[in-house]
Amino acid sequence: MNNTYYYIESAQLNNFFIQLKKDYKVFSPVVKDPKAKELDYYYQNLADTSPLVFNAYRAVEPLKSFFTYPYEKVTDYFALAKNITDVVEKTIVFGVKSCDIFGHKIQDFVFLEGVEVDSLYRLRRENTLFISGDCTDFKEVCHCLAWDVLPHPTEGFDLNLSPLNEGYIVEVGSKKGEELLQQHKEYFIAAKETQVAGRKAKRNNLIERLKKHLLPQNLVSKDTVQQLVRQGYDLDTWQNFMLTCVECGGCNLICDTCHCFLLADKKETHLNEKVRLWDACLYANYARVAGGANPLKTRKQRLRNRFMKKFDFFVDNLGIPACCGCGRCIEVCPGKIDIREVLKDLAKKVKVTK
Amino acid sequence: MKDIYRPVEATIEDIIVESTTIKTFILRPKEVLEFKTGQFIELTLPGVGEAPFTPSSDPNIKDKIDVTIMNVGRVTSLLHGLSKNISLGIRGPYGKGYPLDEFAGKDILIVGGGVGLAPLRSLLFSLFATIDKFNKVVLRYGARTPSDIIYKNAISEWAKKKKVDIVTTVDVGDPTWKGNVGLVTTILKDLPVDLNKAVAVVCGPPIMMKFATLKLLDLGFKPRDIYLSMEKNMSCGLGKCGHCRIGRYYACKDGPVFTHEQLKDMHDIWD
Repeated sequence: MNNTYYYIESAQLNNFFIQLKKDYKVFSPVVKDPKAKELDYYYQNLADTSPLVFNAYRAVEPLKSFFTYPYEKVTDYFALAKNITDVVEKTIVFGVKSCDIFGHKIQDFVFLEGVEVDSLYRLRRENTLFISGDCTDFKEVCHCLAWDVLPHPTEGFDLNLSPLNEGYIVEVGSKKGEELLQQHKEYFIAAKETQVAGRKAKRNNLIERLKKHLLPQNLVSKDTVQQLVRQGYDLDTWQNFMLTCVECGGCNLICDTCHCFLLADKKETHLNEKVRLWDACLYANYARVAGGANPLKTRKQRLRNRFMKKFDFFVDNLGIPACCGCGRCIEVCPGKIDIREVLKDLAKKVKVTK
Repeated sequence: MKDIYRPVEATIEDIIVESTTIKTFILRPKEVLEFKTGQFIELTLPGVGEAPFTPSSDPNIKDKIDVTIMNVGRVTSLLHGLSKNISLGIRGPYGKGYPLDEFAGKDILIVGGGVGLAPLRSLLFSLFATIDKFNKVVLRYGARTPSDIIYKNAISEWAKKKKVDIVTTVDVGDPTWKGNVGLVTTILKDLPVDLNKAVAVVCGPPIMMKFATLKLLDLGFKPRDIYLSMEKNMSCGLGKCGHCRIGRYYACKDGPVFTHEQLKDMHDIWD
């Protein structure tokens, strides 16, 4: 199935996009400030017939925001209302990028595996299709290649769009994607071999451009990062970078691999509800226990904790570092703490053995 | 579809005052809720909040669960204000319990501090239920003052049992106290255990656990034979919310009982 390619003209893609809105809640990227030096894309559920915007790179929001919400009811108890999982809508997300898909492996690991499956997450996941796209440009902060993530999706999508001439090469990535395409087959034609070759050339071209952008940065590699954070545990790096941290938790909340949440309780008329809130390990009370003891008392410890979780815990438990190089945390940080720079500082001070 | 965050309703059947700051709540869940000793539950005060506790009752009693709670925080202080017949919520049980099978045939040294005796009481009940399987049960318990000792009557009953050896101490005595005075580490000497077939179980405040563990290592216990109940702020109980991470583990699903062997190379485990 991965070798099935179609072609869709831009005008037809718009028709397809509008048609899908009849059966799905469709989110797609929009540009709020077209004059910005570097465009930002935001996901929106557009009700009108405005044309689909193809985003050159990932959106501002993390992909996780479609599957867990910053604040949401996860269950009620004792006096039962309706099953919360009944209210999940069929959804399509356009504009998903390769880094998003990679980052989302972490969310899937947390919520779909382990001792229990989170049924609300699973239901949303099962009812959501990704129509992803190749990156055709990158932001200054983008550094996917440093983590061996390519700027075009290779898996984890339902359909993928690669811009070519006045249309798009469409790659089918799943059975659901194939079904969706077959239901709307009037918009698609078979792709020619020359078009598929054209896609490859465009992809390679972007990879070369991105490499040129990253090479002077001397970024840390995937293979050494666990060793760096382990051996660098007691270095002054954490203290130095902590100085500008204002504990806003922005890096956590916008990160597509950060998944921490807090369960809380509230009363809604006669019903008791359990709500789930995204939590952030940079918050002062993140690890506090009853009575006031706090294993992550200082900002330095909390900043380090974020790195240990991503580059030690997940390497041990899932075999991959929990970073996709999307650079969202770099953009969001009011203290200008740059994950690339923190790791580079460790690399300067730690002697890597392998 | 399984609703993993929904608590089971449980009525407070009785409340026992253990000390000025500690009460035991005897709960009757509306659904059968079986647990293994050492596993923990999340106890919900409806509409207000929840907190993790390890039951203090005998796991062989299926219709009731005791939870011994010290008044230290927001949820626990509200729980202490409750009276009988009120409904609470229980999620769980979560985590791995004490590995009783691995304790078979051994001398089991149990070191408790303060309210840390709560989970250990559940462990003691489990051990007593099949005492033939074990060689000996040795309890060393410390509390801050004589009035902070919990399960006073039970302790003197247990001391009469065969194969059971109990010594208690308090950090600070009072005029009526005739027993030992000193930290729990001061009664970790001349232990009637055979180090070749002994395990130690430690539960109490982090600072007490740290020094008890160091003392046990000093005495010759091997890291793999020291079992520690780690206090972390478990929220979901299912290894998803992230709060209770200890190195590569989550206390909620990989613990809350760990061997010292598992944790000894990790940073800041006692904080």
